[in-house]
Amino acid sequence: MAKVSPFALGSALAIALLVSITVAVTIGPAEIRFDEVWRSIGSHLGIGVSPLTELRDGIVWQLRLPRVLTAAAVGAGLALSGAVMQAITRNPLADPYLLGLSSGAALGAVSVLLLGAAVLLPFAAFVGALLALTLTLLLAGSLGAITPSRTVLAGIAVSALASAITSFVIFWSVTGDSYREVLSWLLGSLSGARWPAVAITMTAIIVIGIPVMLTGRLLDSFAFGDIQAASLGVNVSATRWGLLAATALVTGAMVSVSGSIGFVGLILPHAVRLLVGAGHRALLPLSALLGAVFLVWADTLARTLFDPREIPVGIVTAMIGAPIFAFLLTRRKSST
Amino acid sequence: MTRPEPHDEQPPAVTTNQFDPSNDGRPGGLIGERIRITADGALLIDNVDCTVARGSLSALVGPNGAGKSTLLRALTAVQLPASGTVHFDGDDLLGMPRRQRARLAAFVEQDATTDSALTVDMVVALGRLPHQSLWEADSPESAAVVASSLDTVGMNAFREREFHSLSGGEKQRVMLARALAQQPQLLALDEPTNHLDIAAQLSVLELLDHLRTTGVTVLAALHDLSLAASYCDHVIVLSRGRVVAAGATEEVLTEELIAEVYGVRASIMRNPVTGKPVIGYSPA
Repeated sequence: MAKVSPFALGSALAIALLVSITVAVTIGPAEIRFDEVWRSIGSHLGIGVSPLTELRDGIVWQLRLPRVLTAAAVGAGLALSGAVMQAITRNPLADPYLLGLSSGAALGAVSVLLLGAAVLLPFAAFVGALLALTLTLLLAGSLGAITPSRTVLAGIAVSALASAITSFVIFWSVTGDSYREVLSWLLGSLSGARWPAVAITMTAIIVIGIPVMLTGRLLDSFAFGDIQAASLGVNVSATRWGLLAATALVTGAMVSVSGSIGFVGLILPHAVRLLVGAGHRALLPLSALLGAVFLVWADTLARTLFDPREIPVGIVTAMIGAPIFAFLLTRRKSST
Repeated sequence: MTRPEPHDEQPPAVTTNQFDPSNDGRPGGLIGERIRITADGALLIDNVDCTVARGSLSALVGPNGAGKSTLLRALTAVQLPASGTVHFDGDDLLGMPRRQRARLAAFVEQDATTDSALTVDMVVALGRLPHQSLWEADSPESAAVVASSLDTVGMNAFREREFHSLSGGEKQRVMLARALAQQPQLLALDEPTNHLDIAAQLSVLELLDHLRTTGVTVLAALHDLSLAASYCDHVIVLSRGRVVAAGATEEVLTEELIAEVYGVRASIMRNPVTGKPVIGYSPA
């Protein structure tokens, strides 16, 4: 199959991301013009442009822009984590939540929502995610040498347990409004994303995500398994656990803000592979860019499709992702 | 290079753990000493000494489960042994930094497979990993090494193809090119002829034979004793984790030794076309 040049695709996606962010901010119940988006940004950055009225500026700067930027960061982080997970577990169906991260985060989040401490939600979700990851690794370790397949199986066990406890807690004590809140978080939603969410997710992308994007060569060496990677001079276990920890931190940060948004980490790396091939040096940054563009639009759909009601963005990504996943499965069957 | 000559009268099996590489007139090469490897409490390799003369093409033979793959991985430091030392031309292979070692020694595993849709030239470029830093772009020199490695194995026309679409023989040649792209002085191969048709088997051995002439020390685990007998200078015979014989091929691969190690009756004959030894088997 003729492949697209990674550089051309990268440039196209970078432009598409900028345009998507701007356009997505203009879309919503209140009409915002294209130039108003940039005027609002410009005035807040202290560039000498005439500011918007306080109301319109509030819509752009306080509500829509942070939400759109959070969507971009979360999409990038999930797609990147998915691509890395698929490489280090050598499992093309791996996703960022594989090791119990989302279930652990859900348990943490639901617990604080019920305690009425919603401000602690990101923190509790993050701690829940890391606890679940630790439990997964301990369980995998107790089965013997920690191998990818054991780790994945341990992740399934931990996820099931955390989900069961979460369900019990919800069933036992959630009522009325908090039920909506909990459910919307569980299904993945960016409705509460403001500047703190932007800060959390962007920090994860810049501090962890970007260094991870530069490990493409190492991930390529895992294509034929650990022995081959070791023969090429790669420190296999340090690389695997380092990258696992890095993606867990990124995913944990994303989940803490948005709940678990499915299919982004699973599907988008495959889409990029179809376009530019399997080399990870191109795959990682391009997956992140495509993930960002994808989630910006998915979230825009989520908040406008049934206006004035909003649906959790996780429903939108699942509606789009599940059919694509099915398509990839049939394609995989024919190619192997 | 010397070809093993068929003998009418075979000397008794050599059951020594070592032979002197200086017999060859070329000192150095690969020297493993007192190698022990355990896995889950079981002793897989039991205090093995072995030597592969520099610039030779040597075979590691032995029945299934003898520990050939395990020993090869230890000799190339891909998996570290529980104890023992491995030196190549005097350098400590087990103690040196990983990347430096990967520039010196390459290892081709048995039946390498991948789900990944990497193209042939990307697979071969993996061999450049020990030579470049993670972030730097591919240098023209790297690209030239990749191209010449593909030329050596005759796979240049396939460079755009996806690896998993190749035949078994083509895959093996690509993996060989990947190892060559490491520009190693030592090349270890685990069953490089496994699952290959006869023509592909011969082409792999001809390639290894050619590499030897370029100064690379080649050690290959082989199942086919006739291939080992007709191509290899030296043979190391491994049985149940111990070296039971090692030395010049024609001295080691005798009917008696094959009978003892494999539990079959062996008849060493001569190929009427090539004059090389051919080994026939019958039940003991």
